[in-house]
Amino acid sequence: MKEFDEFEEFANPIGEGRRKRTVSRESVFTDMNAMVDLAFLLLTFFMLTTTMTKPNVIELVMPVPSDEDRAEDVQPVKESRALTIVPFPNDELYIFRGLSAENVRELSYDSGELKAELEDFMAVTDEPMVIVKPHPDSNYRNLVDIIDEINQSAVRRYAIDDFREPDRAILAEAGIESSAVKNEVE
Amino acid sequence: MARNRGFFKKTPHLDMNPMVDMAFLLVTFFLLATTFKLPEQADIELPYSYSEVDIPETNLLTITVDRQGLIYLSLSNHEFRRPWLNRMASIYDMEISREAEEAFSELSGFGLPLEELKPWLRLDRKEQLAHKSRGIPADTLNNELSDWLIAARSVQPGLRFAIKADQVTPYRKLDRVIKTMTANRILRFNLVTEKRTEDEGI
Repeated sequence: MKEFDEFEEFANPIGEGRRKRTVSRESVFTDMNAMVDLAFLLLTFFMLTTTMTKPNVIELVMPVPSDEDRAEDVQPVKESRALTIVPFPNDELYIFRGLSAENVRELSYDSGELKAELEDFMAVTDEPMVIVKPHPDSNYRNLVDIIDEINQSAVRRYAIDDFREPDRAILAEAGIESSAVKNEVE
Repeated sequence: MARNRGFFKKTPHLDMNPMVDMAFLLVTFFLLATTFKLPEQADIELPYSYSEVDIPETNLLTITVDRQGLIYLSLSNHEFRRPWLNRMASIYDMEISREAEEAFSELSGFGLPLEELKPWLRLDRKEQLAHKSRGIPADTLNNELSDWLIAARSVQPGLRFAIKADQVTPYRKLDRVIKTMTANRILRFNLVTEKRTEDEGI
């Protein structure tokens, strides 16, 4: 092609009396210092603007919501097989079995108390049901800690439910005061 | 060499080729092993858990709730963002300009009520980040979150949902989000946590 021939002429000019010069066969020494600087700059950029993503997830399955009017139709959990866990504001934690205020106990998160309680409950109950009722002002972290603990234990069924007036009454009977629960949260 | 007795006349040449190779190897590693931190998302400190389940990378709608309870949304798949916005616009009977649609598909996350979203999309990056978020409304009178979720499910069937909240987000804000989801028959979702190693303990 015409263009290619012209290029050939440019790259390897044939002057008068000189033989056609070919491309030099010696290895070309390039100074790589600049490239290394660039590479490290890129590296630093990527190291600083990205995060090693390690998040994992807890899978939740919620029950189909029941209408408030049909609350009576919902099968009530038999008192003797229910363990209610109530995360409270200020990282407090209360639990009780069944519906009586006598065995309301306070636990702490960091100790193995919750774990021990779950194990004990599983051992003495034949169809255990764990219900978590977070107080609206409790932290999200409290709920996650409890669910994590439940997932680690042998508990097969648990539910996350609302903290309602009857629960507040049980706690109040045991001496734990909390403000009245508003039905409309927002 | 008899000539170079004692001292070198030239400075030593260091062959940088292997170092460049190594540097690019590291760059490639970091490029592939990490994902970009999203600058517009709220500052979230995730709670810890021992869960072994990894966060899904695709087909995920993330509902982020920050410390104050402001709600942000983020759709993982780029190609569905524009239809999602259009769907929402048709529900609310609004017009969306092409530039706004373009800007929206670039966004990884947003947290504004719909009427504020349109003008916000026209701002440039810096102004967008500087703008104070009001969160997406999810109260009973005006549950935009609910409509966003419905719209997302209709443009992308098989969409999965995840809730990402700060450690100290009050439960009542989470409750609103969960109730909104269950009311729309979204019963399976994930809670995003950070991997707990032995040192953090429980």
